[in-house]
Amino acid sequence: MLKNYLLVLTTLIMINKNHSQTQSNFYGSFESNGIYYQENEQENYANEFASNNYLNLKYLFNSSWNFEAQIESYSPMRLQGYSDSFEKTHLSTLSINYKKKGFGLTFGSIYEQFGSGLALRTWEDRQLGINNSIWGIRSTFENKNINLKLIGGWQKKGSEISVGKVIGLDSEITVFNSTEIYQNLMLGFSYVGRFENLAFPAIYPPVGYEFNDLTSLFSARIDYVKNDFYFGYEQILKSEDGITQFGLILNDFIKKGSAHIMNLGVAKSGFGFDFTFRRLENMGFFGDRFEQGELFGETTINYLPALTKQHDYLLTNINIYESQPYVSFPDPSLMKAGEIGFQIDLYYDIKKGSVFGGKYGSNLSLNFSSWYNLDGEYSYNPLDYNSDFLAFGQKYFSEQSVELRKKWSENFSNIFLFVNKFYNKRYIEEKFGEVNSQVIVVDNTIKLENKKSLRFELQHLFNKDDKKNWYGYGVEYNFNYNFSAYYNNIVNYQNIEDDKPSYYSFGTSYTKNSSRFSLSYGKQRGGLLCYGGICRYVPEFKGLSFSINTSF
Amino acid sequence: MLKKIKFFSVVFMLHFCINAQENVPNIALKTISGSSLQSSEILNNDGFSIISFWATWCIPCINELDAIDELYDSWNENYNIKVLAISTDDARSKKRVRPMVSGKNWSFEVYSDTNQEFKRSLNVSGIPHTIVAYGSKIIHRRIGYSPGEEVDLFKIISNYKQ
Repeated sequence: MLKNYLLVLTTLIMINKNHSQTQSNFYGSFESNGIYYQENEQENYANEFASNNYLNLKYLFNSSWNFEAQIESYSPMRLQGYSDSFEKTHLSTLSINYKKKGFGLTFGSIYEQFGSGLALRTWEDRQLGINNSIWGIRSTFENKNINLKLIGGWQKKGSEISVGKVIGLDSEITVFNSTEIYQNLMLGFSYVGRFENLAFPAIYPPVGYEFNDLTSLFSARIDYVKNDFYFGYEQILKSEDGITQFGLILNDFIKKGSAHIMNLGVAKSGFGFDFTFRRLENMGFFGDRFEQGELFGETTINYLPALTKQHDYLLTNINIYESQPYVSFPDPSLMKAGEIGFQIDLYYDIKKGSVFGGKYGSNLSLNFSSWYNLDGEYSYNPLDYNSDFLAFGQKYFSEQSVELRKKWSENFSNIFLFVNKFYNKRYIEEKFGEVNSQVIVVDNTIKLENKKSLRFELQHLFNKDDKKNWYGYGVEYNFNYNFSAYYNNIVNYQNIEDDKPSYYSFGTSYTKNSSRFSLSYGKQRGGLLCYGGICRYVPEFKGLSFSINTSF
Repeated sequence: MLKKIKFFSVVFMLHFCINAQENVPNIALKTISGSSLQSSEILNNDGFSIISFWATWCIPCINELDAIDELYDSWNENYNIKVLAISTDDARSKKRVRPMVSGKNWSFEVYSDTNQEFKRSLNVSGIPHTIVAYGSKIIHRRIGYSPGEEVDLFKIISNYKQ
């Protein structure tokens, strides 16, 4: 396997050599992420090398036709934290696209999104191990006022495809779009169906499932913009479907689902405000029904992300909220049917020359979010619930954050961040406990002469619950625009029980145009890690890692 | 094993006909107000475009755009440059794009690539990723951002022989 890996690398380096005289329509990219695991909770990864490799090739025949293929190689084994379905070397994406005069046709792997993705979204996220593209056919039509999409096929599931078939129709109509007084009204309607004929359950006497093989989502949405004001609303109704609990679907627990999302805001010069409300009830929707509740939840059809501020500092990434769109009844004291809540964002530009803005001005941003279980009547025996529409149940999560970006001189700037968080471990992770924590971050950047720069950050997490307090620091030095090195460390210094664990990392990166190589060593928690100008999701491990990334 | 040798041999042969991506492809995008348009409509047809892929949660991306914003007016005194900030925020953070752009008072154009089709068509895997184009022709691209690196973009443009 190692020989194969070296063969891939050698081949790709040769591909990437410069053919400046060649006129061609071939282009592509290559990404390789490898780790030598020294220590690992999973025994089969200890003292092992693993790597995920992606070669993407595109070919443009002319302005109408194009072709795309992606080969993935998990050699000699996949990185930890990825589904077992990602294995060996295989062709993961293959598509032929035709596009002319507003009409489009795609055969093969399809990446698509209806509206905000609440009804359907297929996409690839390599760091998170997601690729739920639909293997099938798509037809599109678009002109100035109408946008139509028709799609059908099976979902990608690692190197295989789903059992269930997915069909979808999306229409988007621009009712008016005036530029004199800027005004825009758009309506959208979608249908997504999943057809999966489940085999009879292995029980005696054998009985058939009492829900349709076809599960449907019907969506309607409106978006309105007038000058500085905007408003949007989307509603989804999901037909009756069996609910997966503990890997089983029972005939006496069949429910409909629904989703509501409302968003409004004001965006003026130097000021921005946004309010989003969302309610999700039983909105799990997968190409294969039994994927619900599985660790990696592959073949998800709809996109239901957590609506909270996305952080990329090490300590702010502890206890991150995961959205709760599913029905889950693990025991009589913990019954969930979805989530309801809101998020508010506020941005303000403090002008240059003002008292608080100083010579260079400042940016202030605030974020508030609160998410709850659906309130209503819940029964464990028999399994059942009736939720109220606008009632807030047990609190899952809330967060308030303030961020101030301040430039003090031509060469010195910093970011102050304060986060106050409530995290209900019992309801989010289905474990025990609640966490109230506060995080302070100060991130400083100094520009030095001759393209050099220094960035250093200090962080502290205050936590009376759970694993108590943390501190953290990091330093990054850019020798020039191409070459940088970093070191960071976070320490759970009040966690006597676990012997004050610390997670450290040091490494270097070299970037040249569209190619980047990085090497690092350390023990890391999971989460987003941003150094050398790139943000990546890193799973917990101790070992030596490298990354190669190039577009050609 | 034989299959793999064949497979990699095909990949190996591809290098004889592969060249860097030459042109910015024509892909559907949205304005931050939600109107649809094609990437060919937003490129600076008779000048330079700096296409910067970013997201509301990406701190180096915002650092780069803040730095470009400070220099944008002075750049345009000498050259015809259009900065196109392409937000790759998906449904999780897309709603934050419009208020953030207004709050920051950026003077360049911002567009939305919510399902990252434009990003994918340009083989962009990590952000920030910046592309400089003359018309639709790609003349430079780079991954990442280091403080002060925005000055290099201007040098690339000023050294470019049309």
